[in-house]
Amino acid sequence: MFGWLEKRPFFFAVGVFVVIAFAGLIEIVPDFAQASRPVVGTKPYSLLELAGRQVYIKESCNACHSQLIRPFKSETDRYGMYSMSGEYAYDRPFLWGSKRTGPDLHRVGNYRTSDWHANHMWDPTSVVPGSIMPAYKHLFKNVTDLETAYAEALTVKKVFNVPYDTDIDGDGKIDVKLGSFDEAKQRALKYALKVAKETKRQDLVNMVENGKIPEIVALIAYLNRLK
Amino acid sequence: MNWLSDNVNQLALLGAAVILILTIGVAAKYFKAIKEGKSEGELKKENWDGIGEYKNNSPIGWSLAFVGTIIWGVWYWFVGYPLNAYSQIGEYNKEVANHAAKFESKWKNPTKDDLLGMGEGIYLVQCSSCHGIDATGIEGKAQDLTKRVLKKTVLAVIKNGSAALGDKVMDGVGRFGYQMGEMPPGLVSGADAEAVAEYVSNGFKGNEKGAQVFATVCASCHGADGRGMNGMAPNLREYDDKIIHAVLEHGKEGVIGKMPSFKGRLTAVQQKAVATYIRSLSE
Repeated sequence: MFGWLEKRPFFFAVGVFVVIAFAGLIEIVPDFAQASRPVVGTKPYSLLELAGRQVYIKESCNACHSQLIRPFKSETDRYGMYSMSGEYAYDRPFLWGSKRTGPDLHRVGNYRTSDWHANHMWDPTSVVPGSIMPAYKHLFKNVTDLETAYAEALTVKKVFNVPYDTDIDGDGKIDVKLGSFDEAKQRALKYALKVAKETKRQDLVNMVENGKIPEIVALIAYLNRLK
Repeated sequence: MNWLSDNVNQLALLGAAVILILTIGVAAKYFKAIKEGKSEGELKKENWDGIGEYKNNSPIGWSLAFVGTIIWGVWYWFVGYPLNAYSQIGEYNKEVANHAAKFESKWKNPTKDDLLGMGEGIYLVQCSSCHGIDATGIEGKAQDLTKRVLKKTVLAVIKNGSAALGDKVMDGVGRFGYQMGEMPPGLVSGADAEAVAEYVSNGFKGNEKGAQVFATVCASCHGADGRGMNGMAPNLREYDDKIIHAVLEHGKEGVIGKMPSFKGRLTAVQQKAVATYIRSLSE
């Protein structure tokens, strides 16, 4: 067998690659698998948060905002605890970003509120003088695409076994419900109404009460969830 | 100018000549050795079909380095690396611990000016995005920190009570650490409430009727001067260290909106500095 291999340089090279790759796999994969497990307490995104995440991606927020706090004192002083890989377990794709034109947002839910986000997205300089962030007024009119968000949630649930409709922390309660589209939509509307009321903007509350969730509400729900 | 008058050129020329002579000399020596040289040295006992081997003992320095490397290798493998392995988080923890120690020793007894400067810096980074750079709360979006309370806040607290102070009891005192605990709703109403709200939000002056209502109803907990009787109830005259500490630790939900908790993000000295700075705004 080796005689055959030694006479064929191409297959010999393939063999060498396979042997070395195997060594790499058994060294890298177990540690990687361990580190990418969800951190205790990490839960999948609810339908509304997932819709907000899609708005975040659509508006390309990640082009200017990172979601990764590095373990440096200067960063943890400003943004909070450094990020851990397991916190991104349900991020598909992760939104680490590569450039900070604006501040990091990985824990923005800890120190900003719904009304602040609404004011800021309507007119950034009204709360941050000198800000170069553009206004996102169209988000207050556009209606959130819950169908696509539901499709994503259902896909990751079926394909990647993301634990929707599951008791994750073992307290006997289902942590993040998904269910059928209608159930999920009702839940998202209820959640959206709470967020809309927090923004103290009657136009947003009216829209949600009419069964239409403005994109800004979904986005704020997502940002509040980043902790 | 004659190039040979430059001493650097002279030196370079001299160096070139030396290298040339040395090269020729060394080459000549080895050519001679190839032509005439004979093997020297002591042969080992063994020989293989007439081919022998010289005794070529390893130099002492090399042997010592070899053994030393083995010993060091064993130490590094079993002790050195496991105990001193580099980790980014380890470096971070060290950085934070060093900074905390330095901070503590440097600001053990801060003067008022130290606190003011520190407080202003922290305020601008952490607080100004909601309360505004001038601390007036950005047109009612957040608490106006240049005033102690707004009229609408006083009215809302009178109407709804203030559960924030007692909804979670820790160590036998209210959540914010005020021994008076929860404030019940509806202690005053109607025109009396309006008057006392006017009086309190105006810095304890103006409205005569409000002053009377305060003295009869509110003073029993908040003190006759409204300063909260040394931390028994919230100080309504100014932002004392206690209320700033309480709000930073627990956040606050009131008539204006919700402020998130800043628990664990500021040290005790930093909280005091923020309180000092905020007090200086209304002076």
